[in-house]
Amino acid sequence: MVGTIIWTVIILTVLGTALAVVLFLVARKFRVEEDSRIDEIEKTMPGANCGGCGFAGCRAFAESCVREGNLDKNFCPVGGNETMKKVASVLGIEAVAKAPLVAVVRCNGSCANRPLVNDYDGVKSCRVKATLYSGDTGCPFGCLGCGDCVSACAFGALSMDPETGLPVVDQDKCTGCGACAKACPKNIIELRPKGPRGMRVFVSCMNKDKGAVARKACSAACIGCGKCAKVCAQEAIVVADNLAYIDPAKCKLCKKCVAECPTGAIHAVNFPVLKPKPAPVAEESKEDVNNG
Amino acid sequence: MANRTFSIGGSHTADKKLSKDCAIEVLPMPSTVYVSMNQHLGAPAKPLVAAGDTVKVGQVIGEPGGFISAFVHSPASGTVKSVAPRKDLAGNSTLCVEIAVEGDEWVEGVDLSDTLVKAVPEDRAFILDRIRLNGVVGLGGATFPAHVKLNPAPDKKAECLILNGSECEPYLTSDYRMMLEHPSEIIVGAAIMRRALGGCRCVIGIEDNKPEAVASMTKALDELKASGLEGYEDISILPLMKKYPQGGEKQLINAVMGREVKSLGLPIDVGAVVQNVMTAFATYEAVQKNKPLVSNVLTVTGDCLPIEKQHNYKFRIGMPLSYIAEYAGGVPEEAAKIVSGGPMMGKAIANLDAPTVKGSSSLLYLTEDQTRRGKESDCIRCGRCTEACPMGLEPFLLVKLARNAMMDELEANAVQDCIECGCCLYSCPAYIPLLDIIRIGKGDVMKIIKSRPRK
Repeated sequence: MVGTIIWTVIILTVLGTALAVVLFLVARKFRVEEDSRIDEIEKTMPGANCGGCGFAGCRAFAESCVREGNLDKNFCPVGGNETMKKVASVLGIEAVAKAPLVAVVRCNGSCANRPLVNDYDGVKSCRVKATLYSGDTGCPFGCLGCGDCVSACAFGALSMDPETGLPVVDQDKCTGCGACAKACPKNIIELRPKGPRGMRVFVSCMNKDKGAVARKACSAACIGCGKCAKVCAQEAIVVADNLAYIDPAKCKLCKKCVAECPTGAIHAVNFPVLKPKPAPVAEESKEDVNNG
Repeated sequence: MANRTFSIGGSHTADKKLSKDCAIEVLPMPSTVYVSMNQHLGAPAKPLVAAGDTVKVGQVIGEPGGFISAFVHSPASGTVKSVAPRKDLAGNSTLCVEIAVEGDEWVEGVDLSDTLVKAVPEDRAFILDRIRLNGVVGLGGATFPAHVKLNPAPDKKAECLILNGSECEPYLTSDYRMMLEHPSEIIVGAAIMRRALGGCRCVIGIEDNKPEAVASMTKALDELKASGLEGYEDISILPLMKKYPQGGEKQLINAVMGREVKSLGLPIDVGAVVQNVMTAFATYEAVQKNKPLVSNVLTVTGDCLPIEKQHNYKFRIGMPLSYIAEYAGGVPEEAAKIVSGGPMMGKAIANLDAPTVKGSSSLLYLTEDQTRRGKESDCIRCGRCTEACPMGLEPFLLVKLARNAMMDELEANAVQDCIECGCCLYSCPAYIPLLDIIRIGKGDVMKIIKSRPRK
């Protein structure tokens, strides 16, 4: 009895050792040489695997960086300039700093501004709703309010405001990966530069209908009147298809257009609250630019 | 012996042909019509008129915008008020020609008499030209341009023309009424289509819940055969079992010919061409009378309507749906949802001011009880959706894959073959919105398939 156990142990030990040697030799022989920089870059990445860079995950991004040898097309929006600096140092090159982006919801069709015209009781998904019809309000361009963007966000930066029925972006949590913009079937979410201390001016509307039609559907719609474009000294505003668009690269944050817009479709966020008298807008905004 | 039907799946939906005894009435013209440039499958038509132009009934106002596209004709005589985007019944913008109606003056060369022209033209090119120039599209629902289907590629041979008279959707009775009131015209239309396809056999499939239609069509066919004219040999009428979706193209081919169209294939691959009876009627008018497709028949029905308020109307395209609803006695108070098309595949109307189009087939009023969705619960793998699917798919699996965006698996499980008939949704005891989710997955997969380089 004892003999059987001893023999079993001996045979298995010998067999195990022999096979380990075989495995070792095979692993040596067929070893795949991999650039060690891929691992190094991957370690510096945020590791969210969100796909914001356009690759399947952080590893794929690292592989692409090493393969290309430069960072012209590769940028991790989540890690931002900090991470890219580290990636560049691994590759031994200089990183070009990019302005950080933030998701901006370009619709102000809150329950108060945009009344419901029918009752949707289908699946609570913007994509499904968009395949069925234009939505339960009179505006076929605006937010559908089912929160596909919220579920697409891997960083918990989006939430639905129960009062307005619109998504709200937490700009501290938003990494600018663009997952929400891709999830939105109406394309109302845009990635825009965060701006100096978060200050930015944008048109919070996507309605391309003619003014009267747009206004009827939503009291906060851009009616394409072009007043903002006329008042803008930087020529940053273009009106096309009855809709104004502010080019963030040209905008100097003077806020003249905000005061000019008859429907309040142009939003200015994160500007310091002016206490004494907000009347001479042009004067104050110059200060803003200097501060920024 | 039970009548023939397709071999797998299907739902035994309620019949509800409430308006079947209401004779077709002609709607008077409203003061304004709005003619959509996007009334057919394929590229939208390009408008040929501008504000201020005067038009006559039957005048071309839109030319095809691509190979798969169709001519659009004016349904009214009067003055063009504007050419501008308007909201369709789903609330999306489409380009419409607005015409202020003045009288009812037709263009020259259209035969407006009721006499039946039985002699089928010999020339195939002449037939196809008339069908194309008169803007005939498939009126079974998909509005696919008829001349494209009737002109298969030279290497494909049509063996059988199947005329779809099954009208398998509950409630709808417009095809049925046409088969009762204009059977001879439909059969002449079938004979014309047969000639265009090179003289293949023709089977007219009618569901057996419409024995009067079968009798009326058989009588008309016998009379035409007895007339001794050429072109009516090899046409037969086949009663089919009542089962939804009997009128689906692939289901009808399976029921009539016993063949199956392979995945992503076309009916012509198995030698079949399927057309609706209404399309046959439109073909008859286009070829024999040179009359463009400017009118169709629509059913106004619903359980909440008393029988005297149910109607089958012959309408001109471009009439606003709200005008038709008003003329029929207004929208009933109990109506919670108005559907255009049948209850299974039809679309809920978000905008009743939308104009009618060539393919409009109903104004169906559904009550709150009929439309509310049950509360969704978990899938218990009962398999009812799989049993019901007429394409042999597994809807519960497709939903799971679509929810997780697993595109390869979706394609391997043939989501692209889904005909969106709604049988799975109808059968699900857990009220899972199967079709809504599958449709999303199908759209994504089709996009991937189309973006692949062709071999």
